[in-house]
Amino acid sequence: MASQSRKGGISLPERRNPKKDESKSIILRISQSEIVARGKQAATDAAFVTKKLLKSTSKAAWIAGTTFLILVVPLIIEMDREQQMNDLELQQASLLGTPSSSQK
Amino acid sequence: MAALAPPTTATAILPEPAIPEKTKADEKVDYFNLPCPIPYEEIHREALMSLKPELFEGMRFDFTKGLNQKFSLSHSVFMGPTEVPSQSAETIKIPTAHYEFGANFIDPKLMLFGRILTDGRLNARVKCDLTDNLILKANAQLTNEPHMSHGMLNFDYKGSDFRTQFQLGNGALFGASYIQSVTPHFSMGGEVFWAGQHRKSGIGYAARFNTDKMVATGQVASTGMVALSYVQKISEKVSLASDFMYNYMSRDVTASFGYDYILRQCRLRGKIDSNGCVAAFLEERLNMGLNFILSAELDHRKKDYKFGFGLTVGE
Repeated sequence: MASQSRKGGISLPERRNPKKDESKSIILRISQSEIVARGKQAATDAAFVTKKLLKSTSKAAWIAGTTFLILVVPLIIEMDREQQMNDLELQQASLLGTPSSSQK
Repeated sequence: MAALAPPTTATAILPEPAIPEKTKADEKVDYFNLPCPIPYEEIHREALMSLKPELFEGMRFDFTKGLNQKFSLSHSVFMGPTEVPSQSAETIKIPTAHYEFGANFIDPKLMLFGRILTDGRLNARVKCDLTDNLILKANAQLTNEPHMSHGMLNFDYKGSDFRTQFQLGNGALFGASYIQSVTPHFSMGGEVFWAGQHRKSGIGYAARFNTDKMVATGQVASTGMVALSYVQKISEKVSLASDFMYNYMSRDVTASFGYDYILRQCRLRGKIDSNGCVAAFLEERLNMGLNFILSAELDHRKKDYKFGFGLTVGE
């Protein structure tokens, strides 16, 4: 029908059942309206930004994680060991009643 | 147990002047009885100790055996990739392995060190106390490549509140430095050098402020270098260090921050700098005279990751 109307310029059948045509044109109008186009644009932009953000955060997380692994994890382990040794020594000292600095 | 904690260089960290304690109590500074400053070349000693551990990549094994009280032999094996300088931004690594043999003679008055590597490099060092105040230091490096051998002769004179050094090197290198204690905590110094072969000369100044809790140093030189460092000793075991380097000629700036933990069983040093470089160095004491070393360095910007492990046996 659309092709007919294009061919014949203004034709009667289009006017005869305007209801059907109007519903179509509404969909068409909605899909071609500025709001939808803007929404689409916004959605793609949001997707792009999230992708970028995700990428950069994952990179930042990777750098932070590896840095943490190198700088902090050994420190925690060693502090823990030191603490354990202190506790052990304290325990021994309290058991024996003598400073246990000569052992080991 | 606690006494054997500091693994190698820890003893050098202790603040040198013990006299300031007394003068502080008196509230009046005796300017004729100032402590001797530390040598000009070691002005950043504490900061360097915390921020510049000997990071390496690969495997190393060091063995030192004392033959008698004064004489010892050392053997060392290194295997791993070494970086080769290239024009492109990417570093090229070539796997290498070498063995180093060394002989040391240590006497209070005379110290001799010799090192020879399988690739033909020879390093010799002499430190000799000529009198109580005058120390002679010599350093020679011989290689089989032409024009890469170096020789250096230093005369250090140590006064009651100043130190001065005269330096002679091959390639017509002359240098002199002087450092003077101004107050019990503050010392200032300067240096001049002239390299005849490269037709270069320069002058530099440095200042250092140290108390038993912190050390702050600053150095400028006519080569365009500005170096500032600050070390805070949180406790006997922990010190935090930061430094700032600026080169006026090449316009590059680096700032770094590091920690240095000296625990009973280990020494751990970590640092992070503004070039995106993270490094950690762990020396773990497994047994008496047996140390295990772990070294890690991440360069996030260049994506260059270096890991190394090693074992040190004896001393």
